[in-house]
This record gives sequence, structure tokens and C-alpha cells, in this order.
Amino acid sequence: MSSPVTLAKGPQAPRRGILRMVRNAFRSLHLPLDDGFAIAGLVIYAVFVLVALFAPQIATHDPTEILFTATFDLAADRRPGEDGFIMGTTSLGRDVFSQLVYGTQSALLIGITAAVMVALIGSIVGVVAGYFGGWTDTILMRLADIAFGIPFLPFVIVLAAFLEPSIWNVVIAMALILWRDTGRVIRSQVLTLRSRAYVEAARVSGSSDLKIILRHIAPNILPLSFLYGSIAIGWAILTEASISFLGFGDSSTISWGYMLQDAFASQALSKNAFYWFVPPGICIILIVSAGFFISRGYEKILFPKLGR
Amino acid sequence: MKGLTAIGSRVLQTVFVLWAVVTILFLMFRLMPGNPMAAYIDPNFTLEQQEALMARFGLDRPLWEQYFIYLWNLLQGDLGESFFYREPVADRILSLLPNTLILTFSSLIIAYVFGILAGSYLAWKRGGLTEQIAIPLVLTTRAMPEFWLGMILLAIFSFWLGWFPAGGTRSPGAEFPTYFALYTSRDFLMHMTLPVLTLAIYSQGLPLLLMRSNMLDVMKEDFVTMARIKGLSSWTVVIRHAARNALLPVMTSFAISVGYQIQGNVVVETVFSWPGLGRELVRAVSIADYPLAQGAFLMIAVVVILMNLVADLLYALLDPRVNRE
Amino acid sequence: MEPLLSLRDLSIAYDVDGGTVTAVDGATFDVPRGVIVGLVGESGCGKTTLARSLTRVLADNARITGGQAFFDGQDIMALPERQMNALRWRKIAFIPQSAMNSLDPVYTIESQLAEVLCKRGGLTRARAHVRSEELFEMVGLERGRLRDYPHQFSGGMRQRVAIALALALNPKLIVADEPVTALDVIVQRQILDQLRDLQKELSVSVIIVTHDISVVAYVCDQVVVMYAGRVAETGAMRTTLTRPAHPYTMGLRNAFPDLKSAAGVLTPIEGAPPNLMHPPPGCRFAPRCPFAQARCTDSSPPLVQVDGDHLAACHRWQEADVLRPLAALTQTWAIDIGATEMGGAKS
Repeated sequence: MSSPVTLAKGPQAPRRGILRMVRNAFRSLHLPLDDGFAIAGLVIYAVFVLVALFAPQIATHDPTEILFTATFDLAADRRPGEDGFIMGTTSLGRDVFSQLVYGTQSALLIGITAAVMVALIGSIVGVVAGYFGGWTDTILMRLADIAFGIPFLPFVIVLAAFLEPSIWNVVIAMALILWRDTGRVIRSQVLTLRSRAYVEAARVSGSSDLKIILRHIAPNILPLSFLYGSIAIGWAILTEASISFLGFGDSSTISWGYMLQDAFASQALSKNAFYWFVPPGICIILIVSAGFFISRGYEKILFPKLGR
Repeated sequence: MKGLTAIGSRVLQTVFVLWAVVTILFLMFRLMPGNPMAAYIDPNFTLEQQEALMARFGLDRPLWEQYFIYLWNLLQGDLGESFFYREPVADRILSLLPNTLILTFSSLIIAYVFGILAGSYLAWKRGGLTEQIAIPLVLTTRAMPEFWLGMILLAIFSFWLGWFPAGGTRSPGAEFPTYFALYTSRDFLMHMTLPVLTLAIYSQGLPLLLMRSNMLDVMKEDFVTMARIKGLSSWTVVIRHAARNALLPVMTSFAISVGYQIQGNVVVETVFSWPGLGRELVRAVSIADYPLAQGAFLMIAVVVILMNLVADLLYALLDPRVNRE
Repeated sequence: MEPLLSLRDLSIAYDVDGGTVTAVDGATFDVPRGVIVGLVGESGCGKTTLARSLTRVLADNARITGGQAFFDGQDIMALPERQMNALRWRKIAFIPQSAMNSLDPVYTIESQLAEVLCKRGGLTRARAHVRSEELFEMVGLERGRLRDYPHQFSGGMRQRVAIALALALNPKLIVADEPVTALDVIVQRQILDQLRDLQKELSVSVIIVTHDISVVAYVCDQVVVMYAGRVAETGAMRTTLTRPAHPYTMGLRNAFPDLKSAAGVLTPIEGAPPNLMHPPPGCRFAPRCPFAQARCTDSSPPLVQVDGDHLAACHRWQEADVLRPLAALTQTWAIDIGATEMGGAKS
């Protein structure tokens, strides 16, 4: 990537009140509201968030409940529309549609938690390494080198050998390793910022390091953090899906990855039960793409290039 | 001289990372909850075997001694015995490595050739409908879970159309005199098609977008305009000058892509029952065959780390501006 | 003899976000055979656009809006692309401003020379090699350096490479865009000397685009002075620079030290060139001209013949002999920009 444009705001006026801080933070995010795709991405996210929040109202059944038809037969492998199941049922007799709806909850939960962790850790590492330099920088960057040398998915799998199967394994693994990209990029941005005249002036006039970081450095890197965060959501969801698919996920929580694993193991492919294994994938694609579109909208703001 | 020191320090860095990863692995498996010896010894081993292993890995010694024995054994290629297969882990890993590498490199080569051509084309035909459709489409391929894509391809091409087998590297009962015969047989190729296709479709997005992005930058450079002023043909301008310059970062990303691709291997090998390192890692972990799991993970990590090094060296090699005096 | 290049009323415009910028507005001048013509003016006067237009490789948002350019009798602005391409480099070559960026960094110089020699000149590889060595010798570079990459050359040497490339196919016209601007003064002189020697030897016509009038004085036979997209004055170098008829040219002389004589006091021309999206009516230099009168803002002065092939676009050209000594005084140019609307010079 070419070196980022710094949305430098110069020395900050003292903020008064929480409200103004919140408003400034929101503005610092520089939400990409003029890009059609980015807006589509935000809308998709909004829809999924709503579905996750109102899952109990939207879903037709309990996703883990094994269901029976009116004639007391196991409602297994029903096609969409049969016996009132909108999207059909699994081989075990569970409602696909409800599973899909409830799946949004774990997807968003993992996605957002992991993304926040990655963005947070990466940004902190980047700021500390870039601002303080010296040994701190060297050590942190060596850590990043090691993180780059660890293959992510295999690492998550190995972790599953020791930890209880749970969706949080993904979050832990991401927190341990995937901060590496964010860390490096933020660090180089901080290096540029640190040499700016107003930062030098602040240091000379005796401002504490923390103050300088909070007031001058942090607002300028927030958009970058957000950018990487929104990409990380996609990574988290994809990874969770892969882990669940491989059988290392939490079988008591219904996630899209779990649905796909269930489908695959139940020979859904040969039964041509497309209603079962296609929709979860589509949902994943939608939400991850949404993340890409939003981050592309950000890129246009952060790295403006004429005529793209 | 400057070039050599740069290469030297990069190699040193690689050694450091390798050491760090190996150490992390050691600590993970030894410090995990439960019986620390469980990392190497299966209760089902005979007493003799157990004692032999204890001696080999110094499992009755203090931790730091175990660490050095572990490193020493590693350098000699000793990774312990697989609980399940009752054979040295190293042997098992090495026999599976070719399968994984074949998938990885075949799919990456296809992905990159396609990506480079398509990316150049999109850069040339910038703006317009093609771009509006193509870019979101490409982003979608990167948004899909690889195993899901594999499932879809299986459903369509194997179960529905019946064109390709559903998994494995060869048809049941097929015998081949040598590995070479196996790898070049039509049977193998048929089995290889869907997994390679899955991986290729997922991976092409990166080189495509990267090439397109680089081309758009390069096309604005003065020397491209000069080529037009010289009256050279479109082919010469776009391919010989623009593409050649845009290609460099894409080539180095190839090496790094190997590292990322390997992760995709893990799930794709599972979907297609392809006997490679990825599938082995998954199986080893699910049956708690710790030595095998360690070995598989280590092999994968080594490939990733080495490819990162290759990427850096490639860059130095291909760019005449990086001094080689 | 018929001039090699005759521009008649050539106009070129750029489409930008706010509208259309007329970069070149009705340019008219001749380039005779076998001379060096200096195209001089400040940044934004349209000289580079004009120069590039002679190759007909323009920016995406630029277009020729009118006029003609007769090269060897043919109007190259009206030629179909294929025929124009046949002329490129073979008859009309170009030396860019920054040679570094104009050379492909991943190919050796030899390979880039061979590219033009073989693909556009039809030579065999072997012949191309011989010719490349010849060209290098012509521009004063060691033939051993043919195998080097662009980044291995210094600034001055890269400029020589650019000259060698331009001469490769023996063109009739070479257009050089600020060929020495990026170089230090000593190297500047060397390159200009080289250019002049080569030009005499090969009797090729050269157009040197520059903002530095001392360059023109040093090496050019003819000069074309441009201001705000229009030709202000043109003629033989000596005549035009020693007896300018246009106030702008008079002012230019003051603003640059003379290469040959000791530097006097430098007097800049106050103000800035007009906005070419909405150019002022009448003479474009009027707002900055110490000699402007009412008619100057009313009507655009046509390019008239002062003497022989010395032409100037100024309403007061006949008073040039009187205005010239005034223009040599610093006080003349210390004008209030707004005040010139009303009257003549302040003395």
C-alpha cells in the first residue's frame, strides 16, 4: 500500500464534555458515506444486527429443537415449504430457517469481538512501538515477525486440542496473532505523525506522553483502526465457520459454520439438500463482503487516488 | 556488499522466527493442562516403548533440559512417534507433504496466471460496466468460505453432473507402480481438479486486484506515456512496459500467498478427503495424537516462514534498482 | 524554403471539474528547417501543452479544439491515427523534462534503444547495436554504459540518453520539453552545447520549451514568447531579445540574469497569469502591463509584423522604441495592478 494520507487535524482544542468527545470520536471515524457500495455494506450490517437482536421474534422455531410433524413423524430432511418449514429441515429434524436466523447472533458476536480485539491490540502495539521507538519498538516488531510466522488456521486447530471447544477459541487466537497487520501499518503511520511540528511542540512544552498520544496521535489513526477492524470482522466469521466445519466448534451454539458441518456430515450434498448448505454460505458471503465494501469506502478516503 | 548484508540479516531473522515458533510449540504442548508426558506417550504404548520414548525425549528431566533435547531431536528430524500410526512422525509428515504441495502450487499457479491476465485487462478497460461487475464479483470470491465453495463444486460437478470423483487422490483399488506414475495419471488429475479449482477460485482475487491496482499506477508513469510518444504498439506499451513493471509486487506476493493458501488447504483437504498435511493436522487433533499434530503444524509453519523469506529475496532479485553491487 | 512546421491558430483545451481550460488559444508561428526555436513563457502559459500536442499524445482530458499544424505540408492535427503514428519518433521526436521518469527502470538503456531502432526503425538487432554505440558517441557517453540501467546514470547523463533516444531514427523535428531545467548550471551548458552541435551536424529542427530566457539566449536561433496560451511575440532570437516589441518580453528580459553579462538587478513582473478557464477580454497581459491602455482591455491585439519575420501581438507595437527604455527601469514595473486599467505607465 502506498503511504497513507494523514487526515491531520493539527493541535487539538481542549474538549469539554462527554457529548463533544463522542461527537468528535464519531467524526474521527470518517465514515465513508458517499460510496454506494460502502452504504450497501453498512445497510447489510444493519440488517444482520437487527436480525440478531430480534432473532427470537423472527425465527419460527427453536434452532436446536428436534421437530415432529403433525402426524408425529420425525421432521427430517423436509424440503422448503413442506410441513410449514420455510427452508426445510436438517437430517436430525431441526428447522433450517431458525438456525440461519440464530446463526447471526454468534456470527456477529464473534465477528465484532474479534475485530475489536484485533484493532485494539494492533493499534496499541502500533502506537506504542511507533511513538516510543527504541527497544520497545524492536521487541514489539520482533513479536510481530513471530506472529507472521505462525499459520493462523492451523494454530486455531492446535489450540482446540487443549482448550474446551468453544467459539471463543477463535477470538483468543485472533487476539494472539492477527494484530500483526494492523500493528505494522499503524506503527508506520505513527512514525510519520510523530515527526510533525505540533507533536514536537507539545513535547517541548512538557505535555505528558499519554496526553500527546490521546490528543494528537489517536484521532489520526482511528480511521485506519476502523478500516482494519472492519476487515477483521470478515476474517473472524470465516475462521469461526472453518473451525466449526472441522468439528472443533461449540456444538451447543448454532452457527453458520456448524450448520455447514452438520450438512456435510449428513450427506446433504448427495441428497441435494441445497436449501441446507447454500444459505449459510450466502449469509457468510454477504456479511464478509459488507465488511470489504465498507473498508474499500474507507480506503478511498484514506488513500485518495485520482481516477479510480 | 550492502546487498549481502541485507540478505544475511533477513536469513538471520528467519532463523529467529523459526526458533521462536518451535519454542512456542514446545511450551504449548508441554505446558498444556493434564499429564505433560501425554505430549509424547500414549498409555496404549507398551512399557518398553514408553520407556524408550521417555529416554529419547528426556521426559523425566527438568523442563529446560527437555527443551534442549527437543531442539536437538528436531534438528535430527526426530519428532516422536505417532500414537495412531505407530510410526515416526517425521516419516508420516514427509510422505504427506507432496500431496499438500501439489494442491498448493497447482492452484496458486492457476490463480496467479488468471489473476494477472484478468487484472491487466481490467486495468486497461478501466471504467465502464466490466469493472462495475467484475470487482464486486472478485470481492465475493474472497468473502466465501473455501470449504463452502468446495461443497458447492462437489454438489454440482460430482454429485449432480457426475463428472468428477467426490474425494481422495485416486479411485479405490487403483494401483500405481511409482509415485511419478500416480501423479501423472489421468485418475489423479481427475481427483485433483475440484480441490485445485476450489483453491484457485478463492486465491485469484489477490493477484487480480493487486495487478489491476499496480497497472493503474504504472499506466500513469512517464515512461508509459513516452512509450506512446515513441509510437510503440499498444501491446508493447501495455505488456512490455506497464505490465512488466506492475508485475514485481505481484510476483513477491506469490510467495506470501503460499503461506496463506496453506490454511485454505486445511479445510479443502477435509472436504475432498485429500490426504495432505492439513487433513492430517485436523485428524491428529481430533484423536489427540499429539506428536502427529505437533509435526503437522510444524511442517506447515516451516513452509510459511520459508516462503516469507523467499518473498523478500525475490524482491531483491527481480528489482534492478535494489543494489546488487 | 517552406518552413518545416507551421502552426496556424492552434487551440488546445482541457476538460476539468469546473469547466474547460483553454491552455492554448490560437497559437501561430513557424519553425524553419534546421534551426533551434525557443518556446518560452512562464508556468501555465501553454508551452508544454503545445509541445506535446505536436506528438499528438495528450492527456486523457485534453483535446485539440481548432487550428492546424502543417508538418512538411501535412496537417498533423487532421491526420488519422495510423498515419500520425507512422510519423511519431521517425519524423517527430520528443525529449521529456525529467529523463529519469521517462526511462523504464526495468530495462537496460541498450534494450530501450534497440526497442525504437528495431520496432520503429526496422533495424536488425545487430545493426541496432552498432547504431546504439554510434548514438552514445554522438551524445558523449561511453558505449560500455549501454548495458546499464537508468538508475545507474546521473541526471545529466540521463538527459544525454534521452537525446540519444530522440536522435535514434534521424527525425526532422525534435521537441524538447525543458531539457535542462532539472540540471545544475554547468551541466546545463554542456547539454545545450551538445544539443547545438548535434543540431548543426544533422540539420534537424529543434523546439526547446523553457521558462528560462537565458537558455533561449544561449542556444536558440528563433524565439516564440507565449503568454496565457497565446503567442505574444516571435522572431529571430537576437532581434526579439535585444529589441522586443511586446511589453511581456521586455519584462522577461529583466527577470532573468543574462548568461553572458554580469547580473544586473532582477526585476520581477508583479501579479500572476490570468485564469484560463475564464480569461479576461482583450489582451491577456493587460492586467500586469505597465503600458496598458483602454483599448488593451477592449480588444485582443492581433499578431502583426514588426519587421521581417519579427511578429508581436501588442496594440502599442509601433511605440516599442519608446517603451523599451522605460521597461528597463525597475520603477516601471512597481505598478498597482488595478491601476493599469486606467492609464499608461507611471514614470
